[in-house]
Amino acid sequence: MDHDTGPSTLSSQEDTVSGSARLIGAHMPTAGGLKNSLTSGKEIGCTAVQLFTGNPRQWSHPSLTDDEIREFRSTHEQTGIPFLVAHDSYLINLAAPAADVLERSRSAFRGELDRAHALGIPWVVTHMGSHLDQGEEEAVQRLITSLREILEETEAEGCTAGVALETTAGQGTGLGWSFNQLGDILKGVGENPRLGVCMDTCHVFAAGYDIRTPETYRDTIQKFDELVGINHLRVIHTNDSKKGLGSRVDRHEHIGMGEIGMEAFSLLLNDERLMHVPVIAETPDAQTMHRVNVARLRRLAASGAYGIVVTAQLFGHYSELFPGGTVDVLLPKGAVINDLAAALTDLNPALSDLSTHCRFAIADELVDGSAVLREGCTVAALPPSSGG
Amino acid sequence: MAYAHIGTEVIDTAALEARVVTVEDGAVCTFIGNVRRRSRGREVAYLEYNAYLPIANRMLQEIADEAESRWQVKLAVQHRIGRVDLGEAGVVVVVTSVHRAEAFDACRFCIDTLKENVPIWKREVCPDGAFWIEGEVSLPASKAD
Repeated sequence: MDHDTGPSTLSSQEDTVSGSARLIGAHMPTAGGLKNSLTSGKEIGCTAVQLFTGNPRQWSHPSLTDDEIREFRSTHEQTGIPFLVAHDSYLINLAAPAADVLERSRSAFRGELDRAHALGIPWVVTHMGSHLDQGEEEAVQRLITSLREILEETEAEGCTAGVALETTAGQGTGLGWSFNQLGDILKGVGENPRLGVCMDTCHVFAAGYDIRTPETYRDTIQKFDELVGINHLRVIHTNDSKKGLGSRVDRHEHIGMGEIGMEAFSLLLNDERLMHVPVIAETPDAQTMHRVNVARLRRLAASGAYGIVVTAQLFGHYSELFPGGTVDVLLPKGAVINDLAAALTDLNPALSDLSTHCRFAIADELVDGSAVLREGCTVAALPPSSGG
Repeated sequence: MAYAHIGTEVIDTAALEARVVTVEDGAVCTFIGNVRRRSRGREVAYLEYNAYLPIANRMLQEIADEAESRWQVKLAVQHRIGRVDLGEAGVVVVVTSVHRAEAFDACRFCIDTLKENVPIWKREVCPDGAFWIEGEVSLPASKAD
């Protein structure tokens, strides 16, 4: 995240593209109440919204009131935005060398997960902390321990919100900028449906991974897949960079207007392996420019050879996870029911038991996991019955 | 063909019986599934039934038809969706036959198979929160009413 303000260099006439199932949005301000991030996001055409659920520069937050939670959930239902993600506080360092800061960070992060769960937000994005020159290897181990313990503790309390570890720019002593290290951290914590990754294009680029041409994009994504795993991606921060390749400096720029350039975003948004992964702009000048950046991302996404849009209709307790109990998912052509279930689990870890708990139906036929999906079809997920 | 219907309207048991009772029948077996006050140790205020109708309508018809042909009886079944208050019927099965044994067996088959297979779910609304019921599992709902 970066709150630089710069001149508005894009024309706001680009705000004309809409109507795509692609989950595209921005980090929206919460001034005046958390729910305002949803109404303003809806207004500028977001189908995905990221927000802070507390003040990102403070340790303690007054706990959410029942009214706030109810208001947020009903606004979520009204706006119908399919994907929400929270971003944690900047102060949290789950790898902190000092015991008191570490404990404070862990407690604050449990709070982040609890708030997300209460608000119906499936993922919390977090940076991976800093070693502060007190030993990088030890810091990585502390981070792994923090994550493992927090996931276990919160799971025991019924929390379904997951953690998405964000690739960092490698500024200062920040951890997790190299795909190698991020892969080690994931392996250290162990596979968990509530653990995923957020790729930030600005950070990846600043960390030295080029994505500006088809060749460099292919190599970087291949490296990411080998070391981290595309299957762990839960959200992508699409930010251009004010600084050059390998600068290790984190300064976000409007889409296509920085050092990365437009082609990388076109490649990313038309990569069929990533088409169901939500993308979020954390670009400057939210008030005036988010509208433009979201429209630009949407147009880039619509420009390529596309997959199929499948509507998932969820019943029972799953129906609460998306507004109206339904969500449109973008999948590659030829995708089957099992691919849809995997894509849904990526959107919300509370759906990780969907394929073992549910039968699936298309129109009035029950179908199995290998059934091929057609463009525009609706798939109903049916939990065990309780009629009579 | 058996009569099978899923809808929001209050079930009129007498009208349902009238669909299948004839002077040839010595036995009329009616099962009424009512909404009761206590469930899984909780006090229930009311139930809300929801269904996936494209499958639920077809399956309920198939179950009813199968019962008719297996036991050579006449059967009518109706299930409610939407809000159902305490003491009201959520489901009614009526079976008529010459003798009672077939009527009992066909009625039991119909209600048991329906409960197991037909995609209908109840949400129990209690004074202190609501619960989704899925098979034997009960899960707290995020909205209280």
